[in-house]
Amino acid sequence: MSIIQVEGLKYKYPDTDQLALDDISFEVKQGEFIGLIGRNTAGKSTLCFALSGLVPHFFNGGYGGKVFVNGLEVRQHEVGDIAAHVGLVFENPFSQMTASKYTVFEEIAFGLENMGVERNEMITRMDESLDLLDITSIKDKHPFDLSGGQMQRVAIASVIAMKPKILILDEPTSQLDPQGSEEVFKVVENLTKEGITIIMAEHKIDKLAEYADKVALIDHGKLIDFDTPAKVFSRDDLPDYGITAPTATRIGKALGIKDSKTDLFPVTIKAISREIGDKL
Amino acid sequence: MNTIQVNNLHFSYTPGSSVLNGIDLELDQQTTAIVGQNGAGKSTFVKLLKGLLYPTKGEILFKGKNTRDYTAASLAKDIGLVFQNPNDQIFKNNVISEVMFGPLNIGQDDQEARHNAISALKKVQLDDKLDTNPYDLSLSERKMISIASILAMNTNIVIFDEPTMGQDFAGKEKLKEIIWDLRDQGKLIICILHDMDFAAEVFERTIVFNQGNVLADGPSREVFKQKNILQQAHLEQPSITQIANELGLDGNYLTDEELIQALKEKMTS
Amino acid sequence: MSTMTLYVDKKSFIHHVAPLTKLLYVMVSIAITYIIPKLEFVLFVTLTSLLILAIGKVFRKILPILALSILLIISIIIVQGFFHPENQTVLYSIGFITFYKEGLTFAALLTLRVLNMIMSFGILILTTKHDELVEDLIKKGMSPKIGYVLLSVLQLIPQMRATMGKITDAQRSRGMETEGNLLVRVKAFFPLIVPVVLNSLHNTRERAIALEVRGFNTKMKKTFLNLSKEYQYTKTIQSILWAILIVTIAWRILS
Ligand SMILES: Nc1ncnc2c1ncn2[C@@H]1O[C@H](COP(=O)(O)OP(=O)(O)OP(=O)(O)O)[C@@H](O)[C@H]1O
Ligand SMILES: Nc1ncnc2c1ncn2[C@@H]1O[C@H](COP(=O)(O)OP(=O)(O)O)[C@@H](O)[C@H]1O
Ligand SMILES: [Mg+2]
Ligand SMILES: [Mg+2]
Repeated sequence: MSIIQVEGLKYKYPDTDQLALDDISFEVKQGEFIGLIGRNTAGKSTLCFALSGLVPHFFNGGYGGKVFVNGLEVRQHEVGDIAAHVGLVFENPFSQMTASKYTVFEEIAFGLENMGVERNEMITRMDESLDLLDITSIKDKHPFDLSGGQMQRVAIASVIAMKPKILILDEPTSQLDPQGSEEVFKVVENLTKEGITIIMAEHKIDKLAEYADKVALIDHGKLIDFDTPAKVFSRDDLPDYGITAPTATRIGKALGIKDSKTDLFPVTIKAISREIGDKL
Repeated sequence: MNTIQVNNLHFSYTPGSSVLNGIDLELDQQTTAIVGQNGAGKSTFVKLLKGLLYPTKGEILFKGKNTRDYTAASLAKDIGLVFQNPNDQIFKNNVISEVMFGPLNIGQDDQEARHNAISALKKVQLDDKLDTNPYDLSLSERKMISIASILAMNTNIVIFDEPTMGQDFAGKEKLKEIIWDLRDQGKLIICILHDMDFAAEVFERTIVFNQGNVLADGPSREVFKQKNILQQAHLEQPSITQIANELGLDGNYLTDEELIQALKEKMTS
Repeated sequence: MSTMTLYVDKKSFIHHVAPLTKLLYVMVSIAITYIIPKLEFVLFVTLTSLLILAIGKVFRKILPILALSILLIISIIIVQGFFHPENQTVLYSIGFITFYKEGLTFAALLTLRVLNMIMSFGILILTTKHDELVEDLIKKGMSPKIGYVLLSVLQLIPQMRATMGKITDAQRSRGMETEGNLLVRVKAFFPLIVPVVLNSLHNTRERAIALEVRGFNTKMKKTFLNLSKEYQYTKTIQSILWAILIVTIAWRILS
């Protein structure tokens, strides 16, 4: 059974005349890592809202179709109940801070307290996610006295610590330094090994090519493609959707070098280096 | 001349925990990228340049005068700063008055301000959203609004704090054009970035911040060669450079064209 | 520590009194000023609150709020001084304005009650960590939703203050003078009002969303990271407060 099922999802923000999501259908299996790509205003964030119930419960407007997460139909359940199954990391970390906690440590605890996680377990999980995001050294700072990147790390840590079955991340690395971004992709990949399902909107195509199991390409609210990174990134019409291919794919195409494993253009630095290495 | 001289600059938000520990820099005509780890002190540094914060020790000289003697508002004619978080910058409830706010304050009349605002919005392709409430736009669009608000002021120095944040390919291309255009007008451009590919391609000079210090400073090409230093500052080499390294090519590659050219030559020989 | 709270982090005996005990103090000290409407008594209660504020080293923090309430107080005095229905004894007149003793006594009583109310709440709010207070209330059975509303109300002023700081930065960095003499600052204040209010409304909504997706409204039983702190003298102080309340009620009934 699929852990996420989206059937004919349509959505329009109030007072607008364009559909932000236009007849989207797809299914995701447990433990998959799905990358969400598309130009700005394609509808990535809106889809993230729809999967976590903020659409339609917080954003009104026109809604059609069905979304199931872990067996719950999103529309029929309150956001609070969906939150037990689905974690959401916001695009803007500042918007995610509860503003009612005095330290980073307490901020991260907030979700766990709500879930009724027992205190010792809570602290173990929090220490773990502080460590994963490399923010142990700022755990006693006030959540608003942080740099942008530090706040983004706190936002991610606070959701990861909740161990939701489905984890949705909306451009979680937009303010992270390069090594921090890489770490987040690694952390998230490790979570899939524990059976956690990942949906991640990202502009970092190179990284998605390396880590994602599948990529969903969205444009003007429509799902254009939903396939393996190799297939999606070797499409010739990517630029029409405002996307550049990964560095490896661009080089591969320019040189006419394919990945011998997939018979498509290579998408990762490893693959292109291997193929070119063989030819040199 | 648009030179900013930074001497032994120290800063801390709370006494006892130092954020900048003695920075010496001269910022001049070159397009300059500032890169570094989260929390390294980059945003703090540009807020000091802008006069929004004052040094705890050391000084910043602009046109030979100490910024401490000026209010941030009086520096606004000369130095524009695009904030990292657009939500911290935008406060009007429609796009056009947001973008006209700066120009009106620095003495442009209504017509001139409107003209500059619209031409800045054209550059970020949001001139069809003049009457929209910025809250009804997505984050990447708000970021572009915050950029247009500064461009419209037509300052001699333009500082961007992570302009590529959340931008797609087209957005980054727009930014490249904007930056090159400003450079051609002889302006000083300083830009904080986490996108190494963008920094390497667009900027002449790169400064690496690390824990409140300058770890490296020089022509971008030279800086991005130094893998160990980048590593130490939690950075990476540009992806093209990584592929070249992976293939064991000697030499220094920053752009697609450079690498493709080299590989073509290698493969035919 | 950031300025995002009204709590003043100091060391004092009052800071070491349990939050709920302080809450009880607020309720008792307000209630008794109504139970015994005698000027001398209410004055005594008000001075007690003042003393406690001083012991808690937060007296100066309450001054701005007291200053704000002056306006309210003046209007009480004027209205009651003129128009109190029981006005009989003329105290003195200025031109056509005549003050009556009954009215003024009543106005003084009201004023003291208001001052006491502000100060006793001040004791609670300025010397208690708000999240601890709310957590304690939730543990006593209050609904977390009400807890959140309470927290948001307490957060309102510091949040406005933070928003104001941000918008000021946005304005001065784009050429609006906000620093300097009083005139400059007064002129800068008015353009702030609309954006601060709009921004705060927006933030409130954003925070509500942030809490929701972190499961604030699940029906599960909550746990707490912070253990209930042990406070000394809780029983003693609370018993005394209850005793005072009972004595005043008894006095009222008997007299
Ligand atoms: N208002 C504040 N109060 C206290 N400390 C702060 C405040 N703002 C930032 N800091 C601290 O100062 C240091 C530098 O922050 P700054 O925002 O300059 O970093 P940055 O290099 O811009 O990082 P990023 O890449 O994440 O944006 C960090 O350790 C941060 O926690
Ligand atoms: N709060 C909102 N109110 C009205 N329209 C919105 C709102 N947020 C986003 N939109 C619009 O919905 C569309 C999709 O936006 P979004 O999901 O944020 O795109 P992406 O995340 O892919 O950049 C855009 O046209 C955007 O302008
Ligand atoms: Mg988005
Ligand atoms: Mg920064």
